[in-house]
Amino acid sequence: MKLVLDSLVVKREGWSLSVNGTFLPGVHLVSGDVGSGKSTLAQIIAGFQKPAHGTVSREGISKVMLSMQHPEYHITGLTVEKECASWGLNAPDILASAMLSGKEEESPFTLSRGELKRLHLACVLERATDLLLLDEPFSSLDCAEKERVCTRINQKHYGITIIFTHEQTTFPRVDHIWEICQGCLVDCGDMPGALERWQHAPARIQDLIRAHNGPRNLTTRDILEAAWQTHESG
Amino acid sequence: MININALRFRSLEIDHLNLPPGITSIIGPNGSGKTTFLRLCAGIAEPESGAILIDGVSPHQTEVGWVNEFPDKNILFPTVANEIASTLRFAFAPCEDIDRMVTATADLVGINHLLSRDMRKMSGGEKVLVALAAALVHHPAVLVLDEYDSHLDMNCAALVETALRHSGATYIIRCTQQMETAAHSDCLLYIDQGKVLHAGTPAPVFASLSGTAFYPCSWRCRK
Repeated sequence: MKLVLDSLVVKREGWSLSVNGTFLPGVHLVSGDVGSGKSTLAQIIAGFQKPAHGTVSREGISKVMLSMQHPEYHITGLTVEKECASWGLNAPDILASAMLSGKEEESPFTLSRGELKRLHLACVLERATDLLLLDEPFSSLDCAEKERVCTRINQKHYGITIIFTHEQTTFPRVDHIWEICQGCLVDCGDMPGALERWQHAPARIQDLIRAHNGPRNLTTRDILEAAWQTHESG
Repeated sequence: MININALRFRSLEIDHLNLPPGITSIIGPNGSGKTTFLRLCAGIAEPESGAILIDGVSPHQTEVGWVNEFPDKNILFPTVANEIASTLRFAFAPCEDIDRMVTATADLVGINHLLSRDMRKMSGGEKVLVALAAALVHHPAVLVLDEYDSHLDMNCAALVETALRHSGATYIIRCTQQMETAAHSDCLLYIDQGKVLHAGTPAPVFASLSGTAFYPCSWRCRK
């Protein structure tokens, strides 16, 4: 199974993005500045937009899912229970996992934005996918919920998961890092070596690398272990 | 000072709370009432009972700038420049002042290069920056920001933090899920299930949250 992005070019007024890359099974992180084209790239990979040039090849991939950054765009059910049903999922199980039990009859639009994101991600992560594209999955979530979603992402042991985000604090364990710099997708490589080349690395990780004690991965536990080792050796 | 007394609105219950001038950050779990509290502070919603007084007057008698976490809900005009200028135009400001203030504010949040662009083609983060510029352009006394930083990258968030501190607003009330940002506040509120469980400067509030996911990672690294 692999996703191949070959000589993709996206152009808009005063802006362009060039992409080459091969994505193998595992968790990939794509970072980039505001307006760099993360969401556009996610939509092109999902097939919702066409590039000006280049091709997207999905080898051995049949089930593709795009989770857009705004959960409102996904809602089709008039109630929370019907929204779960629209995904073909068992509402009580999903609502229990999203800590929304008791809200079955409410309109999804009466939920807080964080609750709506929780509901949406619980549905998305419950479905089996070969290629899962998560556009800013952590926005609107509280700190505890971000950690829970990270755990859930790492429980998926099959397929390609690509996370498009500028999150700086909470991450799942990732296998490969990419970033958009000056209009190009840059391959930073596999973990943990990717951290040395990752220009958008959070400040805390940059500090640890400068102290020659880079974390093994991006989870909170990895970062705390590296920080404590730095503290002890310092 | 912002004085809150016997406030009741939906699930929100605040008996007594004072917010000093400066930056107040609000943290707490999803669905705890943070956005509801911000809407009351901005005068977008009216309390069912009780009162919020900002330097002695109600929020809708005060100049308030509001930034929604999902700015698409508030966009009125097709181009970035017109969207930022909207508040000034509704106040019948002179055209030459509007052009000058729009350019200066766009510069402050780093979006001068976007002024002629179509709002519909902005990314999620760019829309937040436009909404922030539109809120700042008329120099409000109170800025209310609902998770404005959840769509911003590291550099953008730093730029916005500087812009907020130079905005001249007497009160900045913001909801954030970035605990490192919340740690740099004059006042911090932790809201859960409609109640303010902890209030004060960041050190004692975060001390009360030690061992939870809300305790800043950088503070954990120092331990």
